[in-house]
Amino acid sequence: MNIDSKTRNKYKVTIGIECHVQLKTKSKLFSGADNDARTAAPNTLVNHIDFGLPGALPVLNKEAVRLASVLAFALNSKPQSFSKFDRKHYFYPDLPMGYQITQYDQPIIIGGDVEIHDGNNIKRIKITRAHLEADAGKSMHPAGKNYSLVDLNRAGTPLVEIVSEPDMHSSSEAKAFVRELYLLVRYSGVSDANLYYGNMRFDVNVSVSRTEELGTRTETKNLNSFRSVEKAADYEINRQIELLEKGEKVVQQTRGWDEAKQKTIAQRGKEEAHDYRYMPDPDLPPVILDAEYVKSIESKMPKMPAFWRKQLADLGIGSMHIETLLEAQADYKDDGVEFLSLVCEDVNNKEYATSLANWFVNIEIPLRAQINESGTDLEQGLNRRDMYKQLYGLISENKLSSTNAKILLTKLLTEGKPCRSVLKFATENSLIQLSDQNEIDKIVDEVIINNPKPVSDIKKGEIKAVGYLVGQVMAHSSGQANPSLTRDLILEKLGIDK
Amino acid sequence: MAVISRDDVLKLAQLARLSLSDDEVEQFLIELREILLYVEQLKSVNVDNLAPTDQVTGLVNVMRDDITIDYGYAPGDLLGNVPRVEENLIMVQRVL
Repeated sequence: MNIDSKTRNKYKVTIGIECHVQLKTKSKLFSGADNDARTAAPNTLVNHIDFGLPGALPVLNKEAVRLASVLAFALNSKPQSFSKFDRKHYFYPDLPMGYQITQYDQPIIIGGDVEIHDGNNIKRIKITRAHLEADAGKSMHPAGKNYSLVDLNRAGTPLVEIVSEPDMHSSSEAKAFVRELYLLVRYSGVSDANLYYGNMRFDVNVSVSRTEELGTRTETKNLNSFRSVEKAADYEINRQIELLEKGEKVVQQTRGWDEAKQKTIAQRGKEEAHDYRYMPDPDLPPVILDAEYVKSIESKMPKMPAFWRKQLADLGIGSMHIETLLEAQADYKDDGVEFLSLVCEDVNNKEYATSLANWFVNIEIPLRAQINESGTDLEQGLNRRDMYKQLYGLISENKLSSTNAKILLTKLLTEGKPCRSVLKFATENSLIQLSDQNEIDKIVDEVIINNPKPVSDIKKGEIKAVGYLVGQVMAHSSGQANPSLTRDLILEKLGIDK
Repeated sequence: MAVISRDDVLKLAQLARLSLSDDEVEQFLIELREILLYVEQLKSVNVDNLAPTDQVTGLVNVMRDDITIDYGYAPGDLLGNVPRVEENLIMVQRVL
């Protein structure tokens, strides 16, 4: 399917996204069953409530309400003073009660917005609403069998469903939006947001139109990565434009994403909203949050991406680096690895901040990604904060070249030994540069005597030949001489103005 | 007067995942009509100044602390209610 850019530009693309976030609670939303279903045997984290047995009384988890309230502030909104629960009816084997407990007309979050960073394109995507609801169980469909299998361990897990306005107009904006949601959810600490375990799942609504009026939309459900959101949106944009170009119509439907084939596939026809027969859940009294509660949530909000973006930009860090750092901090937060607070440690030292940001982005973060894949542990008792300070100190004192600093840092991180003195470690690895005038003097003298040809070239005015001599000095000092000092010294000895 | 058509019955059946014979469709058409007519009497009540009553207890903020609770179920207590089980999983008619 190839739509040329000219055809594509005739159409306005509109994208809205729904995102399910699994809240980080110990127990389920309405029952005391363990909420961590990752490794449990099937149907062991269940009870009469999750099983939907008659007469079971759901009781709301206080922590889920707190986390949803935190999320409200993360979404630049605030929790509603009044919210309530409703039943959404549909029949599916993974929904034992025959209805899902959710929030229909009075959700805990109404309004809000998310600032997305799509390269240089920075814009705000409005949030329509976000509500608390219980997850369904998990169905499996064994190949070649005439039955499906259901595990209810996940049934009743607390979710917040975040619904955006249709404010996105390209697949890359859609990707930037879900990435930003990931950052917000991680920084606010409301979810583990482990995409591998489906802690965040995205539904992408796409339509295209040649007029200002919205076209017929499709919804691609259950995407679990930033990339698949972007790819599914792209696929749908192209598919819909192709249909319309052929004079056909887009059918409103629910689709799924086939990762292997990299395409969306039609699923069941979407049931109209009234088919769900929403009704207030009489078992669950409403939630009323007073001003004091809301204020205390707000006052305890952790530092969010917007705070760090400003702080880092004020320190002169470029936006590409900022985004890499923000994402790395989200990824490694649970491992106790600090990036942002170290870069921002001294707001008056831009040079230190820049060096640190560069080392993180160019060395430590890529190393961690590699090592994560190989499953090795990166550090054993290494105090990163001191290590980076000492490293920076050695450079400031001219004891370490920037090239050697990179080598040294890689060794420090990968050899993973507890390290008290970076200087000692660097010396042992012959990475300290000689700034001792006498020693360099001696080597420079030898190099000048042993290389008459380049020396005479330089004297004739071919200054660039000095590079060769510097290289010789570096080689004879095992890379420990300071290149710029060496260059100055050679020119001085040959009586040439620098 | 409440009107319910054959299509409405079929749609309800579809939502409820029921397959109905032609005779059953006819039967439910009559029965549902009667039910709707009966319920329709409610329309004669004046509810202009009444808030919808979806809560009768007057309770608010009934919440529990986030701790796991041992309800005392033995393995198999709950799955024992399930007609067909395979390796702890509930067997159901194939979906998808």
